[in-house]
Amino acid sequence: MDQFIVNIIHRPEMVPEYAEKVTGQGKAEDIGRKALLTESLDIFKTQQEIAHKNGLKTTIQMTYASLFNDEAVVLAKEHHEKYGDEIALSLLGLPCEQFREKYKTKDFCIWMFSMEDKKAIVRDVFGKFYERFGFYPESTGSYYMDADLINFVKAEYPSVKCAVATCWEEGPKAYHTCNNSWYTLMDGGPWAPWIPSKQNTHAPAANETEDSGIVAIPHLSRDLLACYDGNGSNFGTHPQNVLRGMIYDSDTWEYPYLYNLIDQYRYLAKFNNGYAYNMMFVGPGWMNKMGRWEAPYELLKKSYEDGCAYYGKLKKEGKLLDMTMSEFADFYRQKKHYTEPECALWRDILYGSDKQIFWYCDPYMRACVNMDQGGAIVDLRPYAAKLEWPVGIGTKHVQDASYPFLIQEKYRAGYFTHYAGEGTVRSAKICHNGEEVDLCLCRTKAHFSEENGVRALTLDPVEIEFADLTVKLQSVISFPEGTGDIKIERKVLAMSDPAAEVTINEYMVACYGTTEYPEDMTSLKLAVEAGDKSASIDYEYKCREASAAGAEAVSCVLPPIETKVSMTCEGRDKVGFIREGYAFSPMFTLGYQGTLKEKEVFTTWLRLEKAD
Amino acid sequence: MAQAGKGRLNYRCPSCFMRDLDIDMFYDKDKDEYFCIRCQYRGNEADVLEKNQLARFRYGAMMRRFTDFEDFSQEGGKT
Repeated sequence: MDQFIVNIIHRPEMVPEYAEKVTGQGKAEDIGRKALLTESLDIFKTQQEIAHKNGLKTTIQMTYASLFNDEAVVLAKEHHEKYGDEIALSLLGLPCEQFREKYKTKDFCIWMFSMEDKKAIVRDVFGKFYERFGFYPESTGSYYMDADLINFVKAEYPSVKCAVATCWEEGPKAYHTCNNSWYTLMDGGPWAPWIPSKQNTHAPAANETEDSGIVAIPHLSRDLLACYDGNGSNFGTHPQNVLRGMIYDSDTWEYPYLYNLIDQYRYLAKFNNGYAYNMMFVGPGWMNKMGRWEAPYELLKKSYEDGCAYYGKLKKEGKLLDMTMSEFADFYRQKKHYTEPECALWRDILYGSDKQIFWYCDPYMRACVNMDQGGAIVDLRPYAAKLEWPVGIGTKHVQDASYPFLIQEKYRAGYFTHYAGEGTVRSAKICHNGEEVDLCLCRTKAHFSEENGVRALTLDPVEIEFADLTVKLQSVISFPEGTGDIKIERKVLAMSDPAAEVTINEYMVACYGTTEYPEDMTSLKLAVEAGDKSASIDYEYKCREASAAGAEAVSCVLPPIETKVSMTCEGRDKVGFIREGYAFSPMFTLGYQGTLKEKEVFTTWLRLEKAD
Repeated sequence: MAQAGKGRLNYRCPSCFMRDLDIDMFYDKDKDEYFCIRCQYRGNEADVLEKNQLARFRYGAMMRRFTDFEDFSQEGGKT
């Protein structure tokens, strides 16, 4: 039977990040305002009550500020005794008078502090927790926890086994939505629980040596299609997300989308050996009496009551298991093995487009396949590199915690570009008599299967119409577990002229980065391996090309992200090619060209490795 | 003219919302209107609500309750 796990997490933030800014408008800043502290605690109590009323246990993530509040501490102890709630410790909610006085800063995101300050704050916060409760917590978290921080926490406090460690696709899109004022830049991570590697939080551990010792969970369970395109904070299992996105009937206050989102997550059990996960992690700031955005308090409260009621109903029906974070960590360690991927065949449940995408995540990569573009890979993160990427003050990346991409169709264009240049995508073109059709324009759907450790997407065949020939072609995209490879087969099922021949051009346009803006490409090295016909290009924006018949491999080494990406091929008349970009198109292209007849298959492998 | 403040609710600019920007508006009580400091939108509460409704045009399946996530026999937003 499928297991759908939910974590409900509440944090008694005494000075919610945005409550002071919004509810305190027109007043001089005063984070010690009694009214603010009282209301925040009252909201926390309401949220606890709503969860318990629906038979759900919670994880109470005490904040630093709440550790100075006797009532919050007593409440946590009571709820632990009565409801089995876990008393945990959040690294969110640092702001309070005591913190400001001690650290002389208004910074509040733990991953952005210097390593020295991170250590001091962690010791301070964990010490204060111990002082109040007499034990160290088993769970912690923040919107993001960098690898150095996780490693330090685990070394100092081995009891910690679970942490909220990233927020899925909260990056430049969220930054822009907040008028470039919300610095949570953490794209490129897993959307579902994982074991972070010691080297990079976003990249799952491939083995025990890489294991950071904790199970990470994402902050919220987010819409895997809507969040990739739009503001992540509109499309998640936090009911406020749904209200923020205005995804409700303004007259009836109905929001079926919230339930669709939860149900689609439940459906993911089908692709993950019968296991699926959801989490709802809320602070008090959004539920204040003045309302949030356009939503009055009554609607805010209703949305949380409805969300918890739905989880509660699923629990009563035996379709949901509520766990605390530490219970979940134990469950996860039993359920999953290191190289087991997380898979999500996901459909649009909001816009009515019928678009379907597939997300794949394992210790070697995160990839998105877009069926609306013929199975093109539209996002690719090379976790195989296990890129060490320290963040915070004193590092090269004070705020930017995103795992770099090779392909990102929104930031570096995909199939469509404006009149010139190329965008990042892994697709194929079918050519015949001077006509060319890119599979990105062949909309289709996929079916998931798993056999002998290989997860495969079999796409519904597409028809490609040339002036004098119709080709029926099917793509199969496979992910052999534990390899860092993606295998793509193109099969010609039928042709209107069985004797005809078409040319196939399998290509990958890529670059690297974490934002929309181009990076320096000059250290990249392209190569085509073909014995004495081998060639290489050191990237200089000169628009050069090289190719070789029968090439064994084509590749690009990207030193800034310590990644090697390569393609190999099995197919008739194969010719491997590499292409350098130019200033107006700062990309590189790898690919193979070949020929196909009816019933033939053209196969390529894309491989991701850590560059030496 | 007195300084602007916050209105009854914390309305965002509907014009900016439609381009994925969350910008709180401020309220001019003398003119009974909300205005955006980032773009050129201004309007009274009724206009804000009307434009918010307009912003929902893209959510074609907003009110559909999905029961199957691989069955595409029903198109898009149809229930």
